[in-house]
Amino acid sequence: MTAADNNASRPRGRVVTFERALLVFAVALLLVLPAFTSDFFVSFVLTQGLLLGIAAASLIFLAAYGGMVSLAQTLLFGVSGFVIGNAVTTGGSKGLNLGLDPWLGVALGVGITTVLAFFLGAVASRSTGLYFLMITLTFGVIGFYFFGQVTTFSGFGGINQVRAPDFVGTPGQFPERLYFLALAVSVIVYVVLRYIARTPFGLSLQGIRDDHVRMSSMGYNVWVHRTLAFTLAGFVASLAGVLFIWWNRQIDPASIGMGEILALLIIAVIGGINRLEGAWVGAIVFVMVNNYVRDVPGLNQIGLTEARFNTIIGLIFLIIVLLSPDGFIGIGQRVVRLLTPRAWHTSQAPGSDSGSGPSVTAGSRSDSGSGSAETTGNK
Amino acid sequence: MTTTGTAQILQLSGIEKAFGGVHALRGVDIDVAQGERLAILGPNGAGKTTLFNVIAGDFAPTVGTVRIEGRDVSTAPARTRPDLGVARTYQRTRLFPGLTVEDNLYVAIVGKERGHLRIFKNKKDRVFRERAARAAQRVWLGTKLDTKVESLSHGEQRQLELGMAMSVHPSLLLLDEPASGLSQGERQRLTEMLLSLEESVTLIIIEHDMDVALSVADRVIVMHDGSVIAEGTPDEIRANQMVHDIYLGRTGSLE
Ligand SMILES: Nc1ncnc2c1ncn2[C@@H]1O[C@H](COP(=O)(O)OP(=O)(O)OP(=O)(O)O)[C@@H](O)[C@H]1O
Ligand SMILES: [Mg+2]
Repeated sequence: MTAADNNASRPRGRVVTFERALLVFAVALLLVLPAFTSDFFVSFVLTQGLLLGIAAASLIFLAAYGGMVSLAQTLLFGVSGFVIGNAVTTGGSKGLNLGLDPWLGVALGVGITTVLAFFLGAVASRSTGLYFLMITLTFGVIGFYFFGQVTTFSGFGGINQVRAPDFVGTPGQFPERLYFLALAVSVIVYVVLRYIARTPFGLSLQGIRDDHVRMSSMGYNVWVHRTLAFTLAGFVASLAGVLFIWWNRQIDPASIGMGEILALLIIAVIGGINRLEGAWVGAIVFVMVNNYVRDVPGLNQIGLTEARFNTIIGLIFLIIVLLSPDGFIGIGQRVVRLLTPRAWHTSQAPGSDSGSGPSVTAGSRSDSGSGSAETTGNK
Repeated sequence: MTTTGTAQILQLSGIEKAFGGVHALRGVDIDVAQGERLAILGPNGAGKTTLFNVIAGDFAPTVGTVRIEGRDVSTAPARTRPDLGVARTYQRTRLFPGLTVEDNLYVAIVGKERGHLRIFKNKKDRVFRERAARAAQRVWLGTKLDTKVESLSHGEQRQLELGMAMSVHPSLLLLDEPASGLSQGERQRLTEMLLSLEESVTLIIIEHDMDVALSVADRVIVMHDGSVIAEGTPDEIRANQMVHDIYLGRTGSLE
């Protein structure tokens, strides 16, 4: 539906086709991979990677298209899990133990999380840049203590032995079913978010990312726009929370603590915070390192034992950030660029139809000169 | 200022604006009739851009009222202006560098129309994109529709700045130094384009380039230090000695 349809001379086609091919190939690979790998790999690398990827996608969506780096996505992910835990569990020592149907639990988890995201978004969307980051971090920390201290809902011991629908089965029963479900949700989330990015809502969100003052003068209510983007991202995070609780069968405040908040940010950055695909790339790399670092020969000898896993993630993080601000996806793009020698790369980065430019820093743009109204409150 | 005649599209009465101790505007009264072409001149720091910001609703005046088509909009926020037919450009370009030329124009057009929050595409989008393409042509960017704004030249960005304001067919168009940073040839082209605006469009242009300002305007206002110090036709302003002393004489851009 883009204007590219009317104008055949536009050089966009080739890059998009190549990108699509790459994505289709990735999904095809993910479809057949379980046939060749162990249950452990399917569950602990692929399923965990995909569900963390969905959570990271909610962060990247806000960052890449909205210029808002939110540290509250882990909380929203967790709220969904906690709501489901409270709703479906029976006989636990803590929590509400409502014993509801698991599917009703999903509806409640997703619904309550989305509504919560709306209100948190309404508060956070008043600010931008570093302040937005700090406000959302505060939400995350408050959430951690809330579930730790309010034993009506959880307590630090968490909610255990959470039931999943029969389709998902008991833990370890059908690891592939949960995996394919996570894959399906990932694909849908990716396609829908990419689609929305090209709609009036999505394009104007990117306008707000680049210059919200101009957007208000063109008639947009920036605050409403940001709030609804945050709500949408909360919805996506809640889906990851559903998959998480079915995968883990247990959730406690540590699942949404400071370490997890940072882990999600690290996933987004190592994957590439400016592109949606980066979410899943980052998550799978993260989970692989998490699971396989201990097997790398020689690491033990130089003192990098399992307990120092964070050092390794930290090093990878550092290397990626130094090598490529756009993470693994950025490295991939450069390779593609080298392989397709055409002059138009200078004017158009591969896949620029996503509209996600080098955006995260653009959010803090300020024009302190005479044309600026950013410092005034009359919006 | 009690007149609310419908012919007056813009009425500014007693506008003052202070930023802390800085008095950017010290009591400005200006009426603008529909279809008028008004140029605002004045040295740096005279308060010209601040006046635009007040008209456009970026901030409310400290004292005074802004009426657009008779309605008091002094404290109404900037986002209410497109519905009143107002569009503006900025002295320092404010574009969306991460989007293409076409998408910049598209977002401008959607801003004026309903459906900001629509999360699906429909037939309207094709119409909007055709309008965007036409708006791009009008500012000589017809071949750059798919170029990301961050890779446009400075001059092209100035053109797009103008194109975005014009794409919504405003009835009151506010241009803040549209010629700055343009070459002589581009200024000529810009002047011709502004002269070809539909008659019903009211234009207020802040411009340091006398050739552009005085050939486009049928009335000129000179501001200095937050006040209007002279007003007249382009010829009267050319002949005004005080204006020469304060402003024009220094820049030497008059004959
Ligand atoms: N947002 C703001 N905050 C504080 N002071 C401001 C702000 N905007 C303008 N000013 C001050 O108000 C005065 C008038 O500035 P303004 O930008 O309106 O002048 P101008 O006539 O547009 O000048 P120029 O020709 O340089 O664009 C200046 O002293 C400026 O520093
Ligand atoms: Mg100015």
